[in-house]
Amino acid sequence: MIFLTINTTDPRPIYQQVADGVKELIARGELEEGASLPPVRQLAADLGVNLNTIATAYRELQKDGLIVIKHGSGSMVASRKITDRSQDELLRPLRKALTELVLAGMSSRKILNLVARELSMVAKESK
Amino acid sequence: MNIEQFSVIYYILFWAIRINGCVRRGRQPLLRGPEWFFNVNVRPGFYTGAGRSILRRYWMRMFIPFAVDIPVAIAIFLSGHLLLLSVLVLGLCGLIHINHLFSVDLAERQARPFELPEAEAPVASIALSLTPRRLRDYTNRKVEWALALSSMIALTWLTRYYLAAPDHHNLRLVFGVPAIYLYFQIGWLFVKRVVVAWRTPVPQAQAAEHVEFREETRKYYLRLCDWNRVVLSAGILFWPIQLSISPTGLNRLLNIWFAALLLIAVVSTVSVEIKRKRLVTLALRALPVKLPDFLSQSKIARWPVCYQPSAPMLILKGAHGYSLNLANTLTYLGAAYLAGLLTLVAVLRFGH
Repeated sequence: MIFLTINTTDPRPIYQQVADGVKELIARGELEEGASLPPVRQLAADLGVNLNTIATAYRELQKDGLIVIKHGSGSMVASRKITDRSQDELLRPLRKALTELVLAGMSSRKILNLVARELSMVAKESK
Repeated sequence: MNIEQFSVIYYILFWAIRINGCVRRGRQPLLRGPEWFFNVNVRPGFYTGAGRSILRRYWMRMFIPFAVDIPVAIAIFLSGHLLLLSVLVLGLCGLIHINHLFSVDLAERQARPFELPEAEAPVASIALSLTPRRLRDYTNRKVEWALALSSMIALTWLTRYYLAAPDHHNLRLVFGVPAIYLYFQIGWLFVKRVVVAWRTPVPQAQAAEHVEFREETRKYYLRLCDWNRVVLSAGILFWPIQLSISPTGLNRLLNIWFAALLLIAVVSTVSVEIKRKRLVTLALRALPVKLPDFLSQSKIARWPVCYQPSAPMLILKGAHGYSLNLANTLTYLGAAYLAGLLTLVAVLRFGH
């Protein structure tokens, strides 16, 4: 069974936590291409949140090309090949994260080690 | 044995089973040990202080179904309409479960002020299953095919029976009982749909234990629904046999039918008790926690019914107990079902 974790102490809004959680699961390969996602109503009822919260998260995932929403048959994880985002668009969050790390006073070597470690974790789990 | 004698035996058996149920419900508050009251982690000395009267009131509420049952049963026995005992048993089954549900909720709410301070805060991290829950995922295809085939055979048989001499047979008599049984079948399917939709957020800590308990409980209730559907299908299949058989053979057949029903009732009761014990073991492994309330349900659901289109749940946990969300699709379906049942009964009773 695949779990999505929501933390009430996390400063991110719930829809963002849901979207990021699904993205992480796709990146790790736990949610494979073509895997069905629960309907918006099920996820919203399970979590006990407004329907719009989950609908917003799904829309964001759809906008990023990570899921396909088909009316009547639900949502499923999209093929990686159909992600038509530009390299610049994909690099933007990385650049933002790197800026945060530099501003936090981390050395380049430490940042590189951190990035390598995180990447190896994601890559290992997605194999 | 006639149908009225069968109803009396069924009622006596029901009483015997209820005693076991009462003992089980009576022990339920202390099932996790003296530091717990149901799922509330109470302070030391709770049971010698305020907890004693809360517990006593919970035990007293267990007798509400008896207060309904005894006078009604006496009236039925005095009036001689013993067939109504079966209807009373069915009604009591619903009443006992609803009474227990509300009674536990009330007792827990009364015990909350005496909760340990560290247990008052809801957990920060919750886990959600990303596996879609659909009715078909919890459906046994073989059972469904068997139910559909038996109903089709019975309906074909009844149609042939009626068409053989349409002037001599009463249409309502021939098709009335199977129609009601079929409608109840649809009702159980609706209940299955509600059980599948039952929400299952779990704390991140002990997620596997909580999920296992929730899923097993869901499957247990779904099996009960299917079991009722099987009995209804057997009833549909039995009806044309009952109509076609000669009066002398009918008496013997009814005896076999009632004996089989009683045997099934006893076997299923034992089986349910075994499964229930397994569920209790699973429940004890998962430590109860308070989950965060993102919708502030106690504020938006103040009455037994509420209208909250933004809340996707059928039942909200309101300020004074459970609250039925009238804006939920399942509520509309349930209301439509009840209206359909009333219409069907009216047509069968008063139609030409």
